[in-house]
Amino acid sequence: MSALQQLQQQMLQAVMDAKPARMLDIRGDAVADAQSRLDVYRHGYRVRLRDALANEFAGLQTMAGRRFGALLDAYVDAHPSTHYNIRWYGSRLAAFLHDTHRSTPQLADMARLDWAISTAFDAANETPISADKLAAVPPHAWAQLRLFLLPALQVLACTCNVDAFRRAADTHGERPHLRRYAAPRHLLVWRLDTTVHYRRLEDDEWEVLCAAQQGAPFAQLCATLATRHGETAALPRMVALLQAWLNAGLIHGLGAAA
Amino acid sequence: MTAMRPDPLPYLGYGLGLRVEYYEALLASPPQVQWLEVVSENYMVDGGLPLVWLDRFRERFPLVMHGVSMSIGSTDPLDQDYLARLAALAQRIEPAWVSDHLCWTGVQGVNLHDLMPLPYTEEALDHVVSRVQRVQDVLKRRILLENVSSYVSFAQSQLTEWEFLAEVAERADCLILLDINNVHVSATNHGFSSSDYLRGMPVSRVQQFHLAGYEQGERLIIDTHDAPVSNAVWQLYVEAVRRFGRVSTMIERDDHFPPWTDLLAELAHARALAEPLLRDAA
Repeated sequence: MSALQQLQQQMLQAVMDAKPARMLDIRGDAVADAQSRLDVYRHGYRVRLRDALANEFAGLQTMAGRRFGALLDAYVDAHPSTHYNIRWYGSRLAAFLHDTHRSTPQLADMARLDWAISTAFDAANETPISADKLAAVPPHAWAQLRLFLLPALQVLACTCNVDAFRRAADTHGERPHLRRYAAPRHLLVWRLDTTVHYRRLEDDEWEVLCAAQQGAPFAQLCATLATRHGETAALPRMVALLQAWLNAGLIHGLGAAA
Repeated sequence: MTAMRPDPLPYLGYGLGLRVEYYEALLASPPQVQWLEVVSENYMVDGGLPLVWLDRFRERFPLVMHGVSMSIGSTDPLDQDYLARLAALAQRIEPAWVSDHLCWTGVQGVNLHDLMPLPYTEEALDHVVSRVQRVQDVLKRRILLENVSSYVSFAQSQLTEWEFLAEVAERADCLILLDINNVHVSATNHGFSSSDYLRGMPVSRVQQFHLAGYEQGERLIIDTHDAPVSNAVWQLYVEAVRRFGRVSTMIERDDHFPPWTDLLAELAHARALAEPLLRDAA
């Protein structure tokens, strides 16, 4: 190991360690001793990572309240940053909360929604198709028609009303009451042009959307709805969903199932 | 080997660091803001609003790119994904130049997201020079390296900071972004002369000035970039203009954002200090 490598590894450890460390290579002088000098970096390290997380996890901050700082400290202690952009530091926070706060799953759910919103913000641009393009599909092609949904579209399973907490954070509204669900419900997160959206999915829409994401042809989407609503109601419901997806810009391409 | 004298890059005048807080004001700005410096990493993204804004600014202002994560002094391998994205952004916006810092930001795959100082040794010098050359090969252009504020110095150092920076620039044939505030902060914290620092910089390689503010800590002064430019830094700026002549200058404000008019007034002050000196020298 080179001298430079050794110094950098020692310095890194000294900056990251939760307890004050001493580095023999650092010079102290009349202006400030070595420990005070090192502490500037130690303090800055935590502040920067916490600030970066606070920027991305507005909903979690609203939900956790006074516990938010302790959650961030625990994450900073457990996970150093490995990405060149500090904005990505929170990529593992939801998984961390899932593993460390099993009795309060709402925290991981909340972090997952915050992170989905954050990543949708600067995901790759995709141009949604227009209604005209869908209208131009010939009748015989509909059964095998495949809908290509936005790659950056995310569907999240939630155990409680995390969307209400995020909305409160975004609008500086009052902190909502926590509502736990008997069974998981689903949220859709996507971006249209430059605006990130999120909304709840009805169970049937969730099922069909997931099937479409997996490449199921149109006939199969309708069959899925028929299982829930019956043959007669399935098609109108599918048409309504298609209209909603078109309006939201969720479909960016059409193709034929293999 | 003696490096060739660098070709001059364009002189851009007086500019600002592009920050979200001033997006709207900048688009409606009067002509005293002549150019913008963008933080490269903020726009090394796949799509969305950041790039929409960037394209708007590109239509109106000359841009330069300023990175914080190249980690040119790290003993970890250069991050090829980072460099590829940096090169792609440079290709997209065609900046007048690309800069980063003379520092390391992490090692062993960990990023401290801080501008960590190097020991000023021959070993570190060889290491940095070879990496700058590789980066310049990837980007197909000379880069600018900025002096960082520092709070520690290492027992191993054999050179002064300014000797080290000047030597890197000469040997790697790169340019220098001289942060006047950082010179003052480090000089105060380490007890060296900021004038010696300026005298140690090769005139032909200084391409850009940063001006910024700092915070007085208990014992050390801390480079926060969240305060107005101090009197001491203005004085040093005058000294720098006398030595280096006409150098593209900008104010870098990262927090505690003042009203837009206050920031413009600071920029106007920089111009008012520099222009008479430059006219006299002409």
